[in-house]
Amino acid sequence: MSHDTLPRPTATDKRPERPAGRPNRRRRHWTRRANPLAGLGSAVWLVIVLVPIYAMLSASLTSQDKSLTGNPLKPPTDPTLDNYNTVLNSGFGHLLSNTVIVAVTVVGIVLGLCVPLAYVAVRTRTRWSGAAFRLFLLGVAIPAQAVVVPLYLLIAKLDLYDSLLAVILPTAAFAMPVSVLVLTGTLRDISEDLYEAMALDGASPLRMLFQLTIPLAKGGISTVVIYAALQAWNGFLFPLIFTQSDEPRVLTLGLFNYVSQFGVNIPALLASVVLSGIPIFAVYLVARRALIGGLMGVGGK
Amino acid sequence: MSVTDPAVATPKRGKVRAGRPSAVWALPAVLFFTFFAIVPMALAFYLSFTKWDGLGDPKPVGLANWQKLLDDPRLTQSLTLTVLLTAASWAFQTVVALLLGVWAAGRQRNRAVLSAIFFVPFLLSSTAISVLFYALLDPNFGIIQKDTLGSSSGAFLAIVFVGGWQFIPFHTLIYQGGARQIPQVLYQAAAIDGAGRYRQFFSITLPQLRHTITTSTVLIVVGSLTYFETVLILTKGGPGTDTAILPYLMYEAGFKTYDFGYASAIASALVLAATGLSLLLVRLTGFGGMRSTREGM
Amino acid sequence: MESNRGRSTGTGGAIGTGGTAFSRRWVLGAGASALLTTGLSACGSGEGSGGGGGTITAFVYGDDAVKVQQAAVDRFNKSAASKTAKGKVKLEKIPGSDYLPKLRTAMGSPSAPDVFFNWGGGSIKAYQAADKVVDLTDIIENDPVLKNGFLPSVLAAGDLKGRHYGIPMRGMQPVILFYNKSVFAEQKLQPPTTWDELLDINTKLKKAKITPFALGGSDVWPELMWLEYLVDRIGGPEVFKRIQDGDAEGWGDPAVLKAAEMVKELIDDGAFGSKFTSVSYVNGGAPAVFAKGKAAMHLMGSWEYSTQLGKFPDFAKSNLGWAAFPEIEDGVGDVRNVVGNPTNYWSINPRTQNKDAAIAFLKDCASEAYAKDLVALGDVPTTSNAAALLSSAPNPEYAKFQYDMVEQAPAFTLSWDQALGDELGTKMHTEIGKLFTGKSSPSQFVSACKGLK
Repeated sequence: MSHDTLPRPTATDKRPERPAGRPNRRRRHWTRRANPLAGLGSAVWLVIVLVPIYAMLSASLTSQDKSLTGNPLKPPTDPTLDNYNTVLNSGFGHLLSNTVIVAVTVVGIVLGLCVPLAYVAVRTRTRWSGAAFRLFLLGVAIPAQAVVVPLYLLIAKLDLYDSLLAVILPTAAFAMPVSVLVLTGTLRDISEDLYEAMALDGASPLRMLFQLTIPLAKGGISTVVIYAALQAWNGFLFPLIFTQSDEPRVLTLGLFNYVSQFGVNIPALLASVVLSGIPIFAVYLVARRALIGGLMGVGGK
Repeated sequence: MSVTDPAVATPKRGKVRAGRPSAVWALPAVLFFTFFAIVPMALAFYLSFTKWDGLGDPKPVGLANWQKLLDDPRLTQSLTLTVLLTAASWAFQTVVALLLGVWAAGRQRNRAVLSAIFFVPFLLSSTAISVLFYALLDPNFGIIQKDTLGSSSGAFLAIVFVGGWQFIPFHTLIYQGGARQIPQVLYQAAAIDGAGRYRQFFSITLPQLRHTITTSTVLIVVGSLTYFETVLILTKGGPGTDTAILPYLMYEAGFKTYDFGYASAIASALVLAATGLSLLLVRLTGFGGMRSTREGM
Repeated sequence: MESNRGRSTGTGGAIGTGGTAFSRRWVLGAGASALLTTGLSACGSGEGSGGGGGTITAFVYGDDAVKVQQAAVDRFNKSAASKTAKGKVKLEKIPGSDYLPKLRTAMGSPSAPDVFFNWGGGSIKAYQAADKVVDLTDIIENDPVLKNGFLPSVLAAGDLKGRHYGIPMRGMQPVILFYNKSVFAEQKLQPPTTWDELLDINTKLKKAKITPFALGGSDVWPELMWLEYLVDRIGGPEVFKRIQDGDAEGWGDPAVLKAAEMVKELIDDGAFGSKFTSVSYVNGGAPAVFAKGKAAMHLMGSWEYSTQLGKFPDFAKSNLGWAAFPEIEDGVGDVRNVVGNPTNYWSINPRTQNKDAAIAFLKDCASEAYAKDLVALGDVPTTSNAAALLSSAPNPEYAKFQYDMVEQAPAFTLSWDQALGDELGTKMHTEIGKLFTGKSSPSQFVSACKGLK
């Protein structure tokens, strides 16, 4: 991190003379600023975050007829779980399992392909590995939407249209550039000396990969897992265009269809939104540090 | 932007070479990616020189689609909207996330609890959040019973807001990480010199967060170019065509008028724009010279 | 999470070691087993269109009326005809908002449906040009069940260049002016028969703080219905016929401009309320506004009855009234003219592996059982036996009204977006949307439409 020279306060600034007996505690931690403005700001943002969430939960527990006449902000007089039943009976479970399959498979493919690639890019500095690496850099700039039409052609030709694979394969492909960058960065931090030591023992590249590289790259790998899994979980465009029937439908597309299906049955619609958030929320509760750490790893570059 | 390795003096002696994986290991990844990303990109470019309605075969028409691109008034509108949306999203998300991130970097316990709550919107998918706000903004049965999504400014602001609501938690994290890295000694020195809170913020915090701001900005800008489900679910490009940003225009050209050739031309232009913009941002900010995570945080 | 593409140059190893060890083997194992399961299920689901005399897929527009089609499918799958043709039918219900794009993408892929729902005429022009729809004229000619099963005018309404491409499979769908009987009774109003009466009713309703008309503006095609009737009442059916036949200058007919101006007057006057732009029909918004009495009238296709019956049965049974679109003084259109959809059709994909099953299935649409199901839904079938069945409708008055309306109509203009086909139809929708949101003035609307090619 570059330490720029700070603009030094000039001599004309006042230097308050501190009365001798007064403790200098206030200045000890820069973080301890009782900042009323910031406090107000964060309170405002808290309201902004909580109101929709509250409205969502409250409306989802209201019965449909009441919702058509009442105000969603008022807590329901007779809370009911009917809406959740409605959603669960509309194939929600199937949507969920499809999405989990997609997420797991995408993560598997991404790791399975990108770890060896990063390994080669870092360890074998030939012309080809450099070129391969630059190929993926190019890939970062390709927005998924631009290639939807030709991808559709490809998928149709492969007879994969309207299947989970039609969603999995492109999603995995588009998660690769960032994953490659993250992994390459992580692997680069592993010192050459360690490899040399293993080489002296006669270890094969494969053994080095599994015994040295992967254990040391856990941070990067978890970042990639989280990134790829979230891409798969939240992906919408590919399922929208490449699937149509109930069987391969994933959660995001299911929500989109619920808009037409439930329409102004707002309680049911919001119940489906709540249900869609529960799996990630569960992961968040269980693995909060890992999740946040992984995300910081994606963003903090 | 080359992130190739700083030269590490590796004696290329036979013994050490033995431990290196052959380039073949990279092949599966390269093949897979080429097939599912590079080839389609090239195909999109090829399709932009054809006329195709999805049913027959693509017919070559030379530069007709590109000519249409330059003449199309809807494209100008779409481009302007996309730029405006990106700028507005950046302003909204950066200001809020930066302030929140710096605030959250403090170690008071209540800040940790609140940060956890603030993170919740990020757990919902973009689709879910768009559906949520679509329901809440319904003019007859929602919270604000006014026609928010039916007015141009209302629709536009709704999209900016929804995008921010979802991603500000993420960017807050980034800024929080960045702010935590700032050495306290800088603040102590400034405090001793009599700099007040606001002075400290502008003279220390902001400059120190320069790299973080860059990272966050690149993410927001590249991301705004691809806002799709929010527009599709909330406004369908409307009212009229007042929120039809470029990705939506492309979807409409392809999947509503079935003019896949023209849609591909728009797509190719979008990629060129995205690449150009990314390269520009990277060059302007010296981003490419960064080597490790620590720098950006 | 498409916004999170960052240029990441590596993680400083100390981050993210919150105790979760993502063992690579575990991930690989899970991924492999997921791939296997997916692969197996993908093989299964890709088999939509009959693998050699097997199951055939039928696409249908997924709204409240699909129960009739589902019943037909169930009936067919148990029947002897199914056994002879060695095939069963699988019905796929596509949500309305997505039907046209989904049909298009599906038809371009190897797993295209064998039988598909459409509106006839312009809506299948592109498919016919690409050889993706079977010419049924001879099949119908040679099969008495099909030949005599449907009202000839309806069968012909879906033609392209005089050839039949589809079998009628839904009720007739004229656009009708619905109104809320109790609101009208309270306000002491009668349904309008002339335009002046309509404007008068609007004023009275607004005074009572009731929105005169419900309108699903965000879908745009409900707005189209207004233009269709206005143009027809002002200038007669020839105005649109000219446009339908390919003459874009037809948009320059004074009737079109006058209709657009009248629309603007209605909007500025508050006839549709202030929120209609973001209200949708397809997701139930406009029907709900109407059923709950927030709006007193609703200009909609005849399916509004079955929709209301499905969503708000009490309203449908006791308070739903209907009338013809009023006459416009000094207009030349016959007040008996009707706009809307004659019906919907099922067409056959030439690539189907089991054409016999497809045809055998479609014959069910001419059957009495099918017609009776339609009648029970509140629709009026387009079969030749329709008139006789009307008395068993849930609302015989409504059924008779519809039937007479269509039978006596000198002209029945097909919905403009279906008549023009997907490409022009979508562009026209955009212009109509701009007119109704005030982004285009009536004259701008006309010149934009003239440029639609």
